[in-house]
Amino acid sequence: MFRLVSYVLKGIWRHRARTMLTVSGAAVAMFVFCFVGSVQEGLERLTSDEDAQRTLIVFQENRFCPTSSRLPEDYARRISEIPGVKDVMPVQVWTNNCRASLDIVVFNGAPPKQLQTARNLKLTSGSWSEFESRRDAAIVGRNVATRRNLKTGDQFSIGDLDVQVVGIFSSHVPAEENLIYTGLEFLQYTRGLDSAGLVTQHEVHLTGNADPDEIASSIDEALRAGPVATTTRRKGAFQTSTLSDLVDLIGFAHYLGYACVGLVLGLVATTTVMAVQDRIKEHAVLQTIGVRPARVFRIVIAESLILCLAGGFTGTLAALTILTWGGLAIGAEGVTIAFRPSIHLAMVGLLVSAVVGILAGIIPATQAARTPIVTALRQP
Amino acid sequence: MALVEIRNLSKSFSKGGEVIFPLKDVDLDIEQGDFVSLMGPSGTGKSTLLNLISGIDKPDQGTIVVDGVEVTKLSRGKLADWRAANLGYIFQTHNLIPVLTAYENVELPTLLLPLTSAERRRRVELALEAVGLSDRADHYPRQMSGGQEQRVGIARAIVAHPKVVVADEPTGSLDVKTSDQIQILLQRLNRELDITLVMVTHDSEVSQIASRQMVLDDGKILERDSNHSNGTSSSQHVQLTGGQ
Ligand SMILES: Nc1ncnc2c1ncn2[C@@H]1O[C@H](COP(=O)(O)OP(=O)(O)O)[C@@H](O)[C@H]1O
Ligand SMILES: [Mg+2]
Repeated sequence: MFRLVSYVLKGIWRHRARTMLTVSGAAVAMFVFCFVGSVQEGLERLTSDEDAQRTLIVFQENRFCPTSSRLPEDYARRISEIPGVKDVMPVQVWTNNCRASLDIVVFNGAPPKQLQTARNLKLTSGSWSEFESRRDAAIVGRNVATRRNLKTGDQFSIGDLDVQVVGIFSSHVPAEENLIYTGLEFLQYTRGLDSAGLVTQHEVHLTGNADPDEIASSIDEALRAGPVATTTRRKGAFQTSTLSDLVDLIGFAHYLGYACVGLVLGLVATTTVMAVQDRIKEHAVLQTIGVRPARVFRIVIAESLILCLAGGFTGTLAALTILTWGGLAIGAEGVTIAFRPSIHLAMVGLLVSAVVGILAGIIPATQAARTPIVTALRQP
Repeated sequence: MALVEIRNLSKSFSKGGEVIFPLKDVDLDIEQGDFVSLMGPSGTGKSTLLNLISGIDKPDQGTIVVDGVEVTKLSRGKLADWRAANLGYIFQTHNLIPVLTAYENVELPTLLLPLTSAERRRRVELALEAVGLSDRADHYPRQMSGGQEQRVGIARAIVAHPKVVVADEPTGSLDVKTSDQIQILLQRLNRELDITLVMVTHDSEVSQIASRQMVLDDGKILERDSNHSNGTSSSQHVQLTGGQ
């Protein structure tokens, strides 16, 4: 079975230029495919996480951009009285850009003590104690740190904000890693926000068996009489509805992913067809020597598979590398989607390349195996 | 029983509405160790006959039995296996695989047989030695002369120790001197290694090196009256020209 491997590899090497072009084309397409896949995965994570399902966000009714939602901070006390609520964390949000952007910076201000327990953050450098003691202290998500090149000890200014980086954190929720946390008061008293006693939203954690939707309506019910009416949703639903424009766009990007697969298929199939037509006579010679037609078929499939896997591997690897080190995210209105690499993505990338490689080879392989030997040998 | 028994073999082609019959009811026996030459003008069906013996083409009717195996009944896949073990094919234009070295080209047929790698290497080395190209093993076809390429092609045809070797105009695209060398080589393979050879040529001088000389004419095979003295004298003729 594998005795003719060297023949196959040398055949591919023979047309280096063509091979390289095809492999790079396939690589670019698979790169885009993985990228689109990663955005898709990021979006799915926003809603599928346990955190997203079991945490509620209380927002001002009919408001969207975080700067326009202003809830009294002491709603927290009233919410925590509702049965099923374990804990309420007031959060002030600040973002440099309310519209969809690739370079969004989002600050969340929250009481430092609560932050430590409510969100599963792990400091990779710096310390919690400094975060608690310093007024302008900020801990920075790993993704933002990579993108903005921030380290513990750095000073970071954006807009009217001026913070001291006292730690970098990672989280098992990738979107968290796009955030910068400060103390609640620090953000409330920032020039321009002017929201002493007010917060953007309340984050509600529930007890073990409480029904999130039921509690969400009781919260809105309870606060209806207050100075500001609220809309309470699961965090996942809140995030997707906030990002609804982007969600549509990302849904559309799905087709871009399919188009990339089609592109690879077309490209590799064309190259393989050309390679086979060049060698109709050579394949006939192989059969005259005693190579079975089925084996000639497999040889051609192997060629197209190798081309496709080489391109797929390169493209997937490049995409995963950039996703790992680029710290990329897209976001709007204070909510972000993290582009993260994943084993799943790598597997899908390679699997798609393999399947496409085999599909692309089928027609030329059939042609190579079926052409009557004598007809092929009589070619000049 | 002859090594190759051809009975009632017919083959036709339709060419632009017209049907031609290169072979009509051909009968032929080839014995183990024979060196048969098949002569005739171009387009008479010589290659067609070789292709049928090789099982790379199918007859309209008739049978070919090689060493007890009815080749004309085998499927395409089975025929390939049969060829790998039993048939060597020498092409007019060597048809070497350009990306493989001389050694790898000769090795190719042995990869299709259940041999140990040591046995494989031994056979390839012997075959290259038999055609006098041991020192060219690592060369690629484009680095060799036409005559050398043809000798690699011959080594490839004999490496699997086939029962029959067919050669389609093996000297057809070589200059006179190289052609003579190839003729001597074929004759030696037949005599020294007892290889059964069927060689097609349209050159009557080349046909003289064979021990049995046939002519294909109008779909029928005629054997020249070949008493053995005739065969000897013709091969002497070749050796003379080859020695020049
Ligand atoms: N596959 C084919 N299709 C149509 N005609 C063919 C085919 N093969 C051979 N022929 C015709 O059959 C005749 C014999 O061909 P061939 O055996 O190649 O002759 P030779 O080898 O004696 O020159 C020629 O007229 C040739 O054109
Ligand atoms: Mg011919």
